[in-house]
Amino acid sequence: MIATKSVPKSGEGMWLWLIKIVSGALIILLLGLHFFVNHTGLVSITENGLLTHEGVVQYYANPIVPTIEILFLIFVISHSLIGLRSILLDLKPSRAALNVINWVFTLVGVVAIAYGIWLVFKILSFLPA
Amino acid sequence: MDMSHHQKDLWTVTFRVFRQKGNAAGHYDTFKLEVNPDEYVIDAVERIWAYHDRTLAFAHACHHSTCGACGMRVNGVEKLTCITPIHTVAKNGGITQVDPLRNFPVVSDLVVDMGSLYQRMEQVGHRPVLPLPEEPAGLPVRKNNGNEYVRLSDCIECGLCISACPVALSTPGYIGPAVLAGALQHGIKAAPALLALVDSEDGVWRCHSAFECTKACPSYVEPGTKIMQLRKQVVGERFANLFRSNR
Amino acid sequence: MSTPTNQPSPKNWYKWFDPRGRDLGTWAFILNRLTALGLTFYLFLHLIVLGQLAIGPDAYDQFVELLHSPVFIFGELLVVIAGIYHGLNGLRVGLTSFGIAIPYQKQIFIGLLILTIIGSIYFGITMFTA
Repeated sequence: MIATKSVPKSGEGMWLWLIKIVSGALIILLLGLHFFVNHTGLVSITENGLLTHEGVVQYYANPIVPTIEILFLIFVISHSLIGLRSILLDLKPSRAALNVINWVFTLVGVVAIAYGIWLVFKILSFLPA
Repeated sequence: MDMSHHQKDLWTVTFRVFRQKGNAAGHYDTFKLEVNPDEYVIDAVERIWAYHDRTLAFAHACHHSTCGACGMRVNGVEKLTCITPIHTVAKNGGITQVDPLRNFPVVSDLVVDMGSLYQRMEQVGHRPVLPLPEEPAGLPVRKNNGNEYVRLSDCIECGLCISACPVALSTPGYIGPAVLAGALQHGIKAAPALLALVDSEDGVWRCHSAFECTKACPSYVEPGTKIMQLRKQVVGERFANLFRSNR
Repeated sequence: MSTPTNQPSPKNWYKWFDPRGRDLGTWAFILNRLTALGLTFYLFLHLIVLGQLAIGPDAYDQFVELLHSPVFIFGELLVVIAGIYHGLNGLRVGLTSFGIAIPYQKQIFIGLLILTIIGSIYFGITMFTA
């Protein structure tokens, strides 16, 4: 029987590509939303806007905001790191180098997302109780 | 328009031709020729070889865009020189530069080693001659005394697409547009063994949608489009595999 | 010393950015790559800088003061332009990757370039006159 499962050498080329495309599309949507809400007067967020600390904290009080911002962060970090990895792949890294790249990028991604989530909660901690 | 060739005004064109022998550094030799602008670039190159410099090495065979041997870069752009009229790439009194294809090792002057392409085409089972119903050209199938008509495959394995591809510039392992398009001849459904080849780190996911391959192709293969079609087939097959029982 | 010239090699990476003798598709590729690198740099910078929010109101408000300098505004404008281009071209890549509108990919690219230019002018004006 011919094997029907493919075994890409370095981990799933197809899945990473699909994540890149889907996250890219979602980023466009979320960015559009982000822009619309933050920079047009149509949805009034706070009296102070996002250019003061107080304004940011009030903005995050609405639970939709931290949810969307965290999702946005996850998509952007994934898209960016997978994209960077694609550029590096075009430089023909050795098996060993590619392993290092995979590990470092995964680490950077996890750390960045964790940091972002921590930051969101830190901002929320400034809310008056 | 006066089509009498005897009376056709000849053009004076200077050809700057890439030369490289052995391990020496590449350089350019210039040859001034009187040419009929309706003739083809390969004719000029051949004339340079015949009358000016017998050491010029260049590949050519059929002179009618079927063998795929005469691919070169003219003024930096990939061309099949047997169907590239001189007047499209030269001006009367001007200079026209001729270089070998990119992304293949230079053997001598304008000749490059296309071995990697031919080997990979074989790996994906590309057939230069195939029965009509299998070439997705939308042609009606007729029988000739009970035998099916056959046709030459669109792809003449000329390598222009690989020369034009920005990914192939830096990655020798990248299978390349011609080969990925060639894999579509069988398709993933008919030849699941192809999956491992094209669904790999050097396969169908490396295309960055520049579509230079489609631009360069002299034979209407549209490799860029075929790569996208192949992606759909791979995604379809991989998802289907998720639901199949273990093989 | 006997390496034949013209071989595919990572050493050719700078040739990615050479548009001579190439078609529009190469411009799409080059600009996508450049904007990707720029936006990635901005992304991580942005994450670090937002850490000021965690320190407290004074730190953040001090930082916001910086944002009013023309250098910063220009930098942000570059980010906006890069984001517009990268997003639009990304849409083009996404569409063609799923077999949609491939014969029109060149026209789509020209269209998105025009949109990018319009967007650049619009945001350039609004950001510097705000």
